Amino acid sequence: MSTDQRDGGRAGDVQGPTVPRMLVGIQLHRFREAAGITPDQAAYEIRASRSKISRMENGLVRFKERDVTDLLTLYGITDETTRSGLVTLTRQANMPGWWSKYGDIMADWFEAYLGLEMAASVIRTFELQFVHGLFQTEDYARAVTMLGHTSASAEEVDRRVSLRLKRQDLLNGPTPPQVWSVIDEGALRRPVGGAAVMRAQLERLVEVAKLRHVTIQVVPFNRGGHAAAGGSFTVLRFSEPEVPDVVYIEQLTSALYLDKHEDVDHYMEVMNHLSTEALTPAQSMRFVSDMIRDM
Amino acid sequence: MTDVSSPQEAPDPAGTGIDTTVPHSARIWNYWLGGKDNYAVDREAGDQYKEIFPGIAVVARTSRAFLTRAVRYLAGEAGIRQFLDIGTGLPTANNTHQVAQSVAPESKIVYVDNDPLVLAHARALLTSSPEGSCDYLDADIRNPEAILETAATLLDFTQPVALMLMGIMGHFTDDEAYPIVSRLQAGLPSGSYFALYDGANTNEAFNQAQQGYNDSGAVPYHLRSPEQFRRYFEGMDLVEPGVVPLVQWRPDPDTEQAEIYSYCGVARKP
Repeated sequence: MSTDQRDGGRAGDVQGPTVPRMLVGIQLHRFREAAGITPDQAAYEIRASRSKISRMENGLVRFKERDVTDLLTLYGITDETTRSGLVTLTRQANMPGWWSKYGDIMADWFEAYLGLEMAASVIRTFELQFVHGLFQTEDYARAVTMLGHTSASAEEVDRRVSLRLKRQDLLNGPTPPQVWSVIDEGALRRPVGGAAVMRAQLERLVEVAKLRHVTIQVVPFNRGGHAAAGGSFTVLRFSEPEVPDVVYIEQLTSALYLDKHEDVDHYMEVMNHLSTEALTPAQSMRFVSDMIRDM
Repeated sequence: MTDVSSPQEAPDPAGTGIDTTVPHSARIWNYWLGGKDNYAVDREAGDQYKEIFPGIAVVARTSRAFLTRAVRYLAGEAGIRQFLDIGTGLPTANNTHQVAQSVAPESKIVYVDNDPLVLAHARALLTSSPEGSCDYLDADIRNPEAILETAATLLDFTQPVALMLMGIMGHFTDDEAYPIVSRLQAGLPSGSYFALYDGANTNEAFNQAQQGYNDSGAVPYHLRSPEQFRRYFEGMDLVEPGVVPLVQWRPDPDTEQAEIYSYCGVARKP
């Protein structure tokens, strides 16, 4: 995320449902339609109103886990993987994450992103400005944070940095997502925090790219009309077959979540162009190593 | 991990080689398998195909299931530790290296494709266990000797290799397909194995759907007769049960049973 300088600076009005809720809603809607069950029948099953079903399917309300499982049973969904996938998502939609204690420094729209990041099986990112938050060193993260929060107290900066580093636990967990990051050469050249900090950051990239579930590809300056055509963005994929990919685009004071086929197709096409046009992972690490050597 | 282009590492200066305006076989296949790596043009072509031949999704699943059983057999009973998988396709569940390395973590896999989208996905997502290796070769099967030459630098060709041509030879006419297969087989050390599946022409609806697909601007795919399938295995020792429809090849108790018009076989090079 270009973004990662911001970790959600207090955005004014935070709107709408969090994305995991949307994802649970989308699936409940699909399953109900496929089973040919009306909203009224579904409402009766969980002793709720028809409008409650509609709000659930639009991701506008919190879910009771039992309502979700009762509905799945009504819809004839017996496959354990599907059921438990949706229950996990429901829990993520309802429960505050480890990051909730950072609520004072983090906008809801970014909190929603963290929830998605934790739930994703594949995270594909394109970075134009900064190294991705999951790969940042503490010093780099601090420098990026200070760029975005010039008037923040030292304590607030510390907390923002610690949130960033805590996020990286994801990479070392038992079932980490595949993180596939395409990064523009500009983000590697810009000496955020100064030459020494940047050098250490590049060394970190080389280290982290050795992880089996991490792929880093560089788009050098001499390639990539596509890279220049848009800003940074992230595509999140979930292992549940029914859950669509979600495109996440961070803006200055809010974020955009796209999950409609035509939108996702468009961004996925750009991401695929970037991935095929970038250096291969092996070439990319040689490129970064050469940069380090020449610093 | 290495990635190798043949004959030499050459980027794609003209563009990225991804055309989203005509259906693309790896992406349609991904759609039929329930994957998410497909575009509107692929879904449309996939749905049109399905209208004429609704069984195609089952064909896609059973094909993948055959790959899984074949690799498990090769890594298990046959004791193979090196795999040359030509025509990799987009990642899905149970990719060759995952199946092989779940049996023998030290297994080495060379994935070969000439599609930039497939290669980018393979390099990022088909990553090896620490004990084994996965390599990615950007090469065209119409030049079998180049593939063998590069593969020999990544695998040990004094030891048996499993050559896998899964759903790829249909993309070639007879004049191309048989020489390609025999030239690849000729380069393998004795004791190597060869596994193949493709669509067969034994069902009229399947034939019609394929004709419609071939007329769509996509790379044509040729269905063949069971007799033509046997030709691929000439000079090799077929493993039981020989050349058969997919679901009849060493089925597991949970192998999906359906009438399938795709044939497969696994054979050992004497």
